[in-house]
Amino acid sequence: MDSTIAMYVAQFINGMAYGMLLFLVASGLTLIFGMMGILNIAHASFFMLSAYFCHTFLELTGSFWLALLLAPVVAAFFGILCERFLLRKIHAFGHIPELLITVGISLVILEGVKLFWGTEPFLVATPKTLQGFIWISDLKYPIYRVFIVGFAFFILGLMALVLYKTRLGMVVRAAVSDADMVNALGINVPLVFMLVFGIGTWLAGLAGVIITPILTVFPGMADQIGMDAFVVVVTGGFGSLIGAFIVSLCIGELNSFGIQFIPKLAPVLMFTFMAVVLAFKPTGFFGERE
Amino acid sequence: MRSKLYLWILWAAILVILILFPHVVGIYYTNVVVLFSIFSLYAITLNLLLGYTGLLSFGHALFFGGGAYATAIALTHIPGLPLIPAVLIGGLTAVVLALITSPLLVRVSGTAFAMLTLAFGQLMYVICLKFRNITGGEDGVGGFPIPPFTIPGVVSIDMTNPTNYYYFALIVVGLSILVIWFFTKTPFGQIIIGVRDNAQRVSYMGFKVPHTKALVFIISGGFAGIAGACYALLQNLVSTDGVLVIYMSFLPIMMAFIGGIGSFFGPICGAAILTILDELITMYTERVELVTGLVFILVVMFVPAGFTGLLASIKEKLFIKSSDQGIMEQAS
Amino acid sequence: MKSAKKILLLTIIFSFLCLLSLPQAMAGRAAFDVHKMSDMSDFDPNNPDIYTGKDAIRIGLLQIFSGAGAGNGEIFWLTCNWIAHDINKRGGILVDGKKKKVVFIKGDTKGKPADCKKAAERLILKDKCQFLWGTSGSHLTNIISQVAKKYKVIHQNSLACSDYLMDAKNFSRYTFQTFTRNSIFGQGGAYYYAKRNKEKKFYILCQDYSFGHSLADEFKIGLKKYFPEAQIVGEDYHPLFAKDFAPYVTKIKASGAEVIFSGDWLPDGGNLLKTCRDMGVDLPILNIFVDEPNALHAVGVEKTKGLVNMNHYMADLRTPERQKFFKVWDNLWRTKWKKPYNTWLYKVCGGTIAECVYSTYWLMSVIERAGSTDPEKIIKVWEGDEYEHPFGVWKMRADDHTNVRDLFISEYVPPEEQKASMTIPPYYWFKGISSIGKIITIPSKYCTPTLDPALKGRASK
Repeated sequence: MDSTIAMYVAQFINGMAYGMLLFLVASGLTLIFGMMGILNIAHASFFMLSAYFCHTFLELTGSFWLALLLAPVVAAFFGILCERFLLRKIHAFGHIPELLITVGISLVILEGVKLFWGTEPFLVATPKTLQGFIWISDLKYPIYRVFIVGFAFFILGLMALVLYKTRLGMVVRAAVSDADMVNALGINVPLVFMLVFGIGTWLAGLAGVIITPILTVFPGMADQIGMDAFVVVVTGGFGSLIGAFIVSLCIGELNSFGIQFIPKLAPVLMFTFMAVVLAFKPTGFFGERE
Repeated sequence: MRSKLYLWILWAAILVILILFPHVVGIYYTNVVVLFSIFSLYAITLNLLLGYTGLLSFGHALFFGGGAYATAIALTHIPGLPLIPAVLIGGLTAVVLALITSPLLVRVSGTAFAMLTLAFGQLMYVICLKFRNITGGEDGVGGFPIPPFTIPGVVSIDMTNPTNYYYFALIVVGLSILVIWFFTKTPFGQIIIGVRDNAQRVSYMGFKVPHTKALVFIISGGFAGIAGACYALLQNLVSTDGVLVIYMSFLPIMMAFIGGIGSFFGPICGAAILTILDELITMYTERVELVTGLVFILVVMFVPAGFTGLLASIKEKLFIKSSDQGIMEQAS
Repeated sequence: MKSAKKILLLTIIFSFLCLLSLPQAMAGRAAFDVHKMSDMSDFDPNNPDIYTGKDAIRIGLLQIFSGAGAGNGEIFWLTCNWIAHDINKRGGILVDGKKKKVVFIKGDTKGKPADCKKAAERLILKDKCQFLWGTSGSHLTNIISQVAKKYKVIHQNSLACSDYLMDAKNFSRYTFQTFTRNSIFGQGGAYYYAKRNKEKKFYILCQDYSFGHSLADEFKIGLKKYFPEAQIVGEDYHPLFAKDFAPYVTKIKASGAEVIFSGDWLPDGGNLLKTCRDMGVDLPILNIFVDEPNALHAVGVEKTKGLVNMNHYMADLRTPERQKFFKVWDNLWRTKWKKPYNTWLYKVCGGTIAECVYSTYWLMSVIERAGSTDPEKIIKVWEGDEYEHPFGVWKMRADDHTNVRDLFISEYVPPEEQKASMTIPPYYWFKGISSIGKIITIPSKYCTPTLDPALKGRASK
């Protein structure tokens, strides 16, 4: 393989890895908005929270896999608490109170993180089993980033399975299109919503753990990725899993090849992409709801 | 008749307080009040969209920041630019920005409108960051000359003096708010409320909804631009983190909501509450985020109608009580 | 006989005069004397003794104290209170005929221009500060400088290093730059590699804001001056708090670079280092701020090897003065300081922490010698001043109020080789990371901060 081609291949996988990470965050966000119509500004804060839990679990047990299992669950627990005691009570008032309250939650989480973990940045080492490289032809590429891609695909499959093959998934899909009807059928919609919110934050939590070996854990990390996830959800269409998946990939690649070819304008690309898509299709690529 | 007299006295008292204020409290709090007045105007322009037309904008900083940058850049590059044209350049730039974006925006409403405005706002933000040679990147545009307020041959007032600028900003903001106020009272202003409540009906009545929306959008954007221009003159510094960042789009929404979006003057109360809160928090604690976050949560949970809504409900309760008493008295 | 007597008398008078002028000659250069330092054993940064009396020397400490960047504030809250503790225990500083205590007052910049300006004005107008101190970020420091100029208050730029802050356009008589400048780093780094004459291909990767651009420009100027055969094989500027460094590292890998030049601070610097090593790029990184021990500990000994750190302060512990200061600090860190001051970051008073400790002592010395907090008297003393601290001599260039000083460069080595600079037991700085090895001093004549020609001779006018 020619070295230039090797570089492009590497950039392609870079973009994929970042895009897939973004997808993990965005899938939770799009699920929550699609089902419940909540603009959850605090979503990325749960992502950060999980990254901090991951750091703590690693310090306590040293096992990355245990952290991957536990940290997102703990983050999801906090998410469920917020849904049950705050968001549910104001759901009837519309978008703006929800926006305001999730901004409030994100600020409180930020401060909570600083109180418990301090302000110093933490770097987390790549788990032992995933260190090292694989050879793609003669390109030497780190295993961990390939693992990210695989893991995200695994989660995508899992979600598709739950949404389309289980009773819960059926109820959830029905609740999206007509919550009142589902309620009338005797299904406990608030419970379903709580569950969905929990799953959404759990997904963000997964991303939070997966990202720690490649990104510093510090109090600003929520802002770092929150905006990107929001763009993905908006451009992909609210509530659309497949939309989030495709746009995540696009933005990942746009980022990689943007840096490769027009590094000065790379950050502008994402928002231009979003504005252009929305200008032609205001509901996003795969969205139906406004 | 008597209540009208009271009202006049109240207004006169407010005016006297406003005039004397900078001479009593010193430069620091004078600037705080100027900032508050600028944000009041900014929040009112947002509420024109949100409360009156029912359009939630997540990118209002586009106009505020656009106006601020235009004024700052104009003052940097055009030597001897007088004060009033500098402010108008800010407003006009915002109008132009609104004109450019409105064809795309008027077709949509609800969440799609919010998202599209967000996209434009963020686009402006990154563009201003990246085109460093014009906007100065993160450094922003600062240290530009602040022109004096001149009427040729009559008077020239130095605007770098905080007290003078206080009067100037208050007059500009006051006039702008008055214009918007009268606008909402015109028949057209009533139509925009119709757009919010029932767009179809407005359309049947023979008004074009997209055109109506576009006009409101342009007026709202233009005055937000003027607020931005005043901000640039006050700070003598415009930066992306100060005027274009997404927080600056959320800020007027919060102000409008906390003050009460159902009322024209609600956003002013919201701006006042947030300004006072900010001063108090910085005085007593470093946990700014914690307090602000908790306040937001508590407001949404317990005062969802905002400050003016709260006042109204208190008034109502008092009124009902007293009228109940009246009935009792009559009965006895 | 008579003449002999005369000669004797003259000799006596002369030697007497010599004795009289001796103290004056000895006091020629102001210095930090570690032996005069108070007993610091009761210094606790978590609960500093803050003088609450009214009549004091009030210094506004501008930093980020809230939000995501609050860690910055924590560091300098410690260094400044260290100074206040020491000086106040000595009884304060004689100002206007009265001994006054020193107080540092927090001003929260929140890392944003508008808040920074507000905080600076609040410190002057409300808290009546006579001095401003700070801050991280050239764009914020420029604002502080302007505010200080407007209200005629002395401002010590202790933390921002862009050269444009002290060019003819932005220069203010009231601002004194004690911090290093980008032109020092740029020339010093280039000089180091020119002398080494081994690696020739450089890749510049800096943060996309004024500091990053200005540092890269200065490095290019430095290379042109000292190392013309060097080659810049790539140049990129990434956004602050970049989300993923992999695309940049892939480009670096393909460029054939031998050295990466980066001015990144944390978290970007740490992420760059880690992504490089994780992606199999083991190139040396010529850096300034990738010296934060907490972050480096997570990366370990192997991956921190090959960092080449340029620093304002870096020195072996060869003299008793240096050893004394090191031991006082180290002992407190070991035994007394609690969270957040018990982490690796505070173990050694080095890098920017040491820089701020000594440069604030300089400000104290200037106030003491001026005998006043009057800005004009301070300016008179500080312009052209020389100050000696345990690791060298600083000169305040009168023309543009810039600190002319030496630069230190060291290649990071594993613990067992750290004894090259760490000369007291246990003979390593840190056990868990590669750290400072042999220290190369680049004398100030090879890395003099650029003087804007328009300011030349300003002071003598």
